[in-house]
Amino acid sequence: MTTIHNPRLTQVFRFLHARYADGVAELAYAFDDGEAMVERIRFPHAPALPRERQAAFDAALKLLHLIAGVSYYKAGVPPKIEVADGSLDDATADLLDALYLHGLAEFAYRNGLDLRGRIAFPRHTPSPLGGEGRGEGATPPQAPSLGLPKRTLVPIGGGKDSLVAVEAIKSIGGDATAVWVGNSALIAACAERTGLPTLNIQRELAPALFELNQRGAWNGHIPVTAVNSAILAVAAILYGHDSIAFANERSASAATLEYDGQQVNHQWSKGYAFEQLLGDWLHTHVAADLDYCSLLRPYSELAITRAFAKLAPYFDAFSSCNRNFKLLGPKPADRWCGQCPKCHFVFLALAPFLPKPRLLAIFGRNLLDDEAQAAGFDALLEYQDHKPFECVGEGAEARAAMYALSQRPEWQEDALVERFRSEILPQLDAAQLALEPWLEPSAEHRVPARLQAALKAIGA
Amino acid sequence: MNPNAPAPLPADAPWIVMKFGGTSVATLPRWQNIRELVASRRAEGARVLVVVSALTGITDALKQLCGEGDQGKRKAAAGAIAQRHYDLLAHMQLPLPATLGARLDELAALAAEGPARLGELAWSARVQAHGELMSSALGAAFLSESGLPTQWVDARDCLAAAALPNQNERTRLLSAMVEARPDPALNARLAAQGEVFITQGFIAREPTSDQGGGRTVLLGRGGSDTSASYFGALLKAARVEIWTDVAGMFTANPRQVPGARLLQKLDYEEAQEIASTGAKVLHPRCLSPLREPRVPLLVKDTNRPELEGTVIGPEVRDHAPSVKAISARKGITLVSMESVGMWQQVGFLADVFAHFKQHGLSVDLIGSAETNVTVSLDPTENLLDSDAIAALAGDLAKVCRVKVIAPCAAITLVGRGMRSMLHTLSSVLAEFDQLRVHLISQSSNNLNLTFVVDEDVVDELLPHLHELLIAAGALRTDDSVLFGPSWQALYGSGEALAQPSWWRDGERQRLLAIAAEATPRYIYHLPTVRAQARELKALAAVDRLHYAVKANTHPAILRAIAAEGFAFECVSPGELEAVSAAVPANAPLLFTPNFASREDFVRGLASRATITLDALHPIEHWGELFRGREIVLRVDLGRGLGHHEKVRTGGSGSKFGLPLEQLDAFLRHADAHGVTVRGLHAHLGSGVLDARHWGEVFNQLASLAERIGSIAFLNIGGGLGVPSHPGEAKLDIAALDKVLREVKAAYPHYQLWMEPGRYLVADAGVLLARVTQTKGKGSWRYLGVDTGMNSLIRPALYDAWHEIANLTRLDEPATGLFQVVGPICESGDVLGSDRRLPEPQEGDVILIAQAGAYGKVMSSPYNLRGETEEVVIDV
Repeated sequence: MTTIHNPRLTQVFRFLHARYADGVAELAYAFDDGEAMVERIRFPHAPALPRERQAAFDAALKLLHLIAGVSYYKAGVPPKIEVADGSLDDATADLLDALYLHGLAEFAYRNGLDLRGRIAFPRHTPSPLGGEGRGEGATPPQAPSLGLPKRTLVPIGGGKDSLVAVEAIKSIGGDATAVWVGNSALIAACAERTGLPTLNIQRELAPALFELNQRGAWNGHIPVTAVNSAILAVAAILYGHDSIAFANERSASAATLEYDGQQVNHQWSKGYAFEQLLGDWLHTHVAADLDYCSLLRPYSELAITRAFAKLAPYFDAFSSCNRNFKLLGPKPADRWCGQCPKCHFVFLALAPFLPKPRLLAIFGRNLLDDEAQAAGFDALLEYQDHKPFECVGEGAEARAAMYALSQRPEWQEDALVERFRSEILPQLDAAQLALEPWLEPSAEHRVPARLQAALKAIGA
Repeated sequence: MNPNAPAPLPADAPWIVMKFGGTSVATLPRWQNIRELVASRRAEGARVLVVVSALTGITDALKQLCGEGDQGKRKAAAGAIAQRHYDLLAHMQLPLPATLGARLDELAALAAEGPARLGELAWSARVQAHGELMSSALGAAFLSESGLPTQWVDARDCLAAAALPNQNERTRLLSAMVEARPDPALNARLAAQGEVFITQGFIAREPTSDQGGGRTVLLGRGGSDTSASYFGALLKAARVEIWTDVAGMFTANPRQVPGARLLQKLDYEEAQEIASTGAKVLHPRCLSPLREPRVPLLVKDTNRPELEGTVIGPEVRDHAPSVKAISARKGITLVSMESVGMWQQVGFLADVFAHFKQHGLSVDLIGSAETNVTVSLDPTENLLDSDAIAALAGDLAKVCRVKVIAPCAAITLVGRGMRSMLHTLSSVLAEFDQLRVHLISQSSNNLNLTFVVDEDVVDELLPHLHELLIAAGALRTDDSVLFGPSWQALYGSGEALAQPSWWRDGERQRLLAIAAEATPRYIYHLPTVRAQARELKALAAVDRLHYAVKANTHPAILRAIAAEGFAFECVSPGELEAVSAAVPANAPLLFTPNFASREDFVRGLASRATITLDALHPIEHWGELFRGREIVLRVDLGRGLGHHEKVRTGGSGSKFGLPLEQLDAFLRHADAHGVTVRGLHAHLGSGVLDARHWGEVFNQLASLAERIGSIAFLNIGGGLGVPSHPGEAKLDIAALDKVLREVKAAYPHYQLWMEPGRYLVADAGVLLARVTQTKGKGSWRYLGVDTGMNSLIRPALYDAWHEIANLTRLDEPATGLFQVVGPICESGDVLGSDRRLPEPQEGDVILIAQAGAYGKVMSSPYNLRGETEEVVIDV
């Protein structure tokens, strides 16, 4: 065993093992012949696993191992990937190849790397017997239905989207658990306010990763929603839930930019392509009755902010700011930095749907009357710039919101709204700027029948 | 008769009205306290009327009962409320008095009956009135039983609500008003009945009319205080005493300004203005009934009856004009209306204001120009949660350009004769020059001056302004008749006692001897440097302390601090050289220049110092210089933490730090040149006395560091404040320790670095000068000394306040008021204004304190008055 001195010069990334005992999952990885990097995921008050769910649990745990590896793989991005307990079937390898390629696209773009052709999870070579007698032919095995309890895991992020999803499920009397991964006072406060039972899962990254970072590891954005999804799949089997309802909206599927012929989407693992891949995989490999979906998928950001504007009890608790403050103070400035794209977008998207003084009380300041924020809002509008690398709505959506404000007497004299009217609006086609089309849901979603009433409630 | 009882009172004995709130009547010990207080007033020879609120929590419980539709639940609620009173009776070991029994029966009957017969509002008023009816009945029994015969008075027999225009059933029943004038008949009727009385706050009776009337009504918010005032007016009492949980009104909200002073004397108008602009201790409504009969009102602390409290009475003219209080109201929305159409147009404003009325918005402040009118709106539910502001803006936009500005805060200075004090406010007003001031308003009654600014600056601004008001002599805390102790001294961790200063107590003779050799001279006291260094070393969460040497680069001081194990922070190659020459070669160095040249970095890189960059240019254009190095990046955390200091170093208006929007670009350049960003640094300003500040900086830096990966330490800068005014609280090191431990626990993987400068050396140095002459000019007296801004420029540059003492005559009474000036040919050459000092003689030694930091290092040869020598003394 050797010490990895420069992670960027490693040759192999190895998936060593995944174990589970007493509520703790242990996921081990290594570069070359370096020491094992062990991540621990703690499931609080974990019940004993019913025997009939053991196979499903093992499959979910294996997927979690493979997906969570992305945090470590990206430190070195070596040319070869090895999985210690054997190669993968096509469906699994396809899922992971896609996730690592697209989920790390922004990371690659930022670091000037090209991952195409570099990521190949080991697959079964087609057996000379053509799969005869092994059940591994062209059609993958169908996982059984486990009769999972009819309740939903709803991940809470501290932002508006998951709160809209929670309230939609509550509105139809659905049984749900508010779940989050990691320590966040903000999320804990929001989860508390939902009034639902809560589940706080802890993820402890391997300390060795921190050391690699200090030794010059590649760093950047990882598809964290995929990791959380895999954690929740394990949790659903462990605690007994038949559905995992994320709050990823329509625009998450849109690419942030195209670079050297490759689509780069900051939130690829929140997009529909990943939702389909993972949802299908869970049906075939874990349990036929475990549904993975996004409750907000048919909706635009604006439709969601409109729904959120009715949820006043959360106004002084939520934050979408990506400065992820671990310690919360009582002031709006303790939750909203006011300078990042998320602050800009949520401010703009809520503005058409809230009384102006109420909105300004949430943020503690008026971002649209601050000329220093012009460049940030330009980026949202895709004016003179590309869309920022953040989980924010599409440029056309931001333009529609800004246009709506420019027609409102209480907003139109604010510095950046006035600037939009005089400088940007003349270059746009007003016919393309209506707000209303954005409030219409699209047909694309995977929401199971049991939760479709909740889906409708959001657009009401 | 009790042999110790005072002699019976004459019929015309004066009245004292005493009001006690809910927490004061909720427990037996509190009632024993009330008994003592009432007995002492009776012993003064006064008849006493006690006005009480309901037991804590009972009014809320009654309101809840009123909202309950189910009869069974209402009965259960009434039962629970009765039980609270039975429990207290049991504690008092009293049987159920008949008056209380009757009230409990009535409440039970009302709960069972529900609102149908009386009507919702009348029934609700009647139910809610029971809180006070029951507490007063209980109190009468307790006081009488404990040897103080007390008559129970039904307030509804004394207070009749006024019939007012525009009243509806709700306001008539639930927020009634009483026109209370002295009523000799009532006075005589009660005087005939006894000497001590107890009655209810919050309730009155409806005026009788043709339709009947006589129902129970409530007085609305602040009702019990207002009841006490009504009774004070009816009985033309000697005074009304409001007993509460603080000693009175303060010069600012103590939660925002711990150094706020107790206001011992106010007139009615000032007190009402302070109550209306933020103080919660009194409801503004409760003062007006007392004004005409000139009944004084006294606010007292139930737990600390020995404290003076606040006396509010008729205007008195024998005090110097002074600002009395500063307050801030948040959540203000401004509507700015711009149009040439309003210029000399009859009725324009009338039309505009009609829209505000139509949308249910109440206007508070108004500022106007020929073509602009700006008004402020208070934060009501209607404003925040309805479309009122959008609808209003829509209507207004038809006649003018309208802009809605929010969230704002109104900062108000209150004091009688505000306009005559404007000249004293210049340094206070200068503070507003860095802020967006949206509106300034000053009323014709000359009681206030209000500034409307952005809301996010207020929390930091208010304590600072309070301090400036005192420093400017606008808030005359030196007048001990008007101003009492600070809130911190009364309720906080206590006021820091005047720090025992080394120059006053231990080393005075030595200093006089040094001055006898030559002046002007700087003297540095090394034991004080060490003591300060050791105090900071006690901060367990801090991994590395640097001395920011720009404050004082004297080699003896550098050595003393090195011996305490400090690292050193330098801002120029010259400082690096001076430090390297003085301290051991293993003391870590940090090089943190600003707008340094390429050559400066070359020299810095040649030393052993860790380099801090604070701009894009060096890494973008000279990146190769840094190849393979580990560096620190100084960022500008921008607004949100700045604004509060003249010497602020954060925000776009400051030249320090990399703006956050350039962070990604910086990291790309660093990566391209193989440069590792190992530390993040921010420093937002100087003279900060609030420990939470550094926690916020760490928290903000850590949230950035998590996105960078290579970061190992966070340097949260210095700026630890050193108070200069007597009585000003010093930085609470224990609180700082606690804050830093908390943030460190949240982000344990980052080392915490600090770089204090002034904190280590300011108090250790003094400047000694000699009196050359005095001069009188009108009422002004100048005291001239043999050095000035050439030696110490801080007073001229920053308006810094340094204590000044006549070391030769330290024990003589300070009788004269002097402007202490130097010999430099600049009118700004003033070391201290309006200083109270003993009568000086030529040759006296004058000491200017806290000159150890930014003294000698900022001195200049201006006027060619020669170098000021430095002398180091040790134990």
